Amino acid sequence: MEAYKAFTQEWMDAWKEKIAGSKEYREIAKDWEGSVSITVNADPSKNIPQTVYMFTDYWHGDVNEFVICDAAKAQSAKFIMTGDYARWKQVAKKELDATKALMQGKLKLKGDLTYVVRNIKTVNKVIDLLTEVDTIFPDDV
Amino acid sequence: MAYDSDLSFVYFGPTKVVFGGGSSTSELESEISSLGCSRAIVVTDQGIIKAGLSENIIKTLGDKCVGVFSDVPQDTGIDVVNRGAAFAGEKGADIVISIGGGSVIDTAKGMCILLTEGGSLADYEGIQLLTRPQTPHIVIPTTAGTGSEVTWIAVIYDKEKGQKILIVESHNAPRVAILDPQLTIGLPPLLTASTGMDAMTHAIEAMTSIQREPLSDAMALHAIRLLSTWLPECLKDGRDLKARGQVQLAATMAGWAFGNALVGLVHAMAQSVGAVARVPHGVACGILLPWCMDFNLSDGEPETIAIYATVAEALGLSARGDDPGSSAAAAVKGSFDLLEEIGHPMKLSEFGVTEEHITEAADLSMADGAIINNIRYVSEKDEVLDIYRRAL
Repeated sequence: MEAYKAFTQEWMDAWKEKIAGSKEYREIAKDWEGSVSITVNADPSKNIPQTVYMFTDYWHGDVNEFVICDAAKAQSAKFIMTGDYARWKQVAKKELDATKALMQGKLKLKGDLTYVVRNIKTVNKVIDLLTEVDTIFPDDV
Repeated sequence: MAYDSDLSFVYFGPTKVVFGGGSSTSELESEISSLGCSRAIVVTDQGIIKAGLSENIIKTLGDKCVGVFSDVPQDTGIDVVNRGAAFAGEKGADIVISIGGGSVIDTAKGMCILLTEGGSLADYEGIQLLTRPQTPHIVIPTTAGTGSEVTWIAVIYDKEKGQKILIVESHNAPRVAILDPQLTIGLPPLLTASTGMDAMTHAIEAMTSIQREPLSDAMALHAIRLLSTWLPECLKDGRDLKARGQVQLAATMAGWAFGNALVGLVHAMAQSVGAVARVPHGVACGILLPWCMDFNLSDGEPETIAIYATVAEALGLSARGDDPGSSAAAAVKGSFDLLEEIGHPMKLSEFGVTEEHITEAADLSMADGAIINNIRYVSEKDEVLDIYRRAL
């Protein structure tokens, strides 16, 4: 299996492919509408010299735009998730439950929390599928 | 009951608790001063004012009270919070004091954010967006059940969206909760029973949440002990100050427990049937709790059996070393028995719930975020529907 460097467009493409190819995701996410941006705060000590912004867009089980973007586009998403690199890495490796991370303030979410809570299975599935992408993390290089 | 070797958690409970009969007047001023504040805005509702519960507190505040905002409805909204914050700002308030139940406390939580950050509450919809402590908030609860006095969650109605929004901010946890059991003396029996069962549900569900951890378990277990002993006493004699106080403490402990470990299936179902058929939250929790416990236990998972065996000990129904399976079953039966003992409604149909309602509520329950914390994974709507039918 090909490995991808985290937070690159190739890595996002591989993640998108996993989601788009999942019948289970399509069923679980049939009610989800809207975009989610992910901001990974800069951490030069972990080889993240600049803040990374990602924009992902989902619509009733379909996966649309999935790109590395700038701050302005990230801010335009329906849901804006922000956190330090170390936390995102834990989430991506399923070492940290996303709900727990939010409740404990390890990640921040701007947007309609009740919507996210109602659709938490969709969120968890997207993360599950991310763990299936063979990922090379910047501080593991 | 065991925890995994990779146990890792954060327990958060920064609220100072001041407890005692009469503490809402005797301790308030010193708590305000110790926070370095001197200009208090009181947030309450018309029911509390009519019941005379806020009068002495406001009198005690004297010049330190710069205004009273009492325009809080049963389900508070963004517009209410915005108005309240504007009023408090005009008065130059530097501390918010809430006197009331969940809606009043949540209004005050929202006002604290706006007094510090400005803008409209709609700007702060989300989770953990704030980066600094908010305007100090002292809570004086007049019910014993929600645990809202020690949680950092506010539920506010957004008229424009036609739905409730959640604001979860650890920087906005109340600084002080003054628990004065005298303020709960006048709670009518049904409200006493149902708010008490809301607290019991917080405690038991925190223990069977997949996010449970030792500190929230400790809070939950003692809450269960106190509630099983003292809630029936409150129902026998509503003026029993000792019993009222113990139940109030239990509700606060249960608040800490679920604030950290979250809740599960009972809340998913109670919130859903509440939305569909307007069943009061505490009542729905009370009725559904034993049925959901029975459901959780019926898959025979050793972890669930061990947890419910510990709950049985806390309920005073078994002893350490007893057969875990029998003890766990006793916890379920004990929950039914407690409902009967306190005269709590036993069936959802008593509140007009029909088959149509529960069919709709089962759909909502499956989409409710609380369901994913439940110790037993719920994969099928029919499982939820079956529980509703048993409780109907």
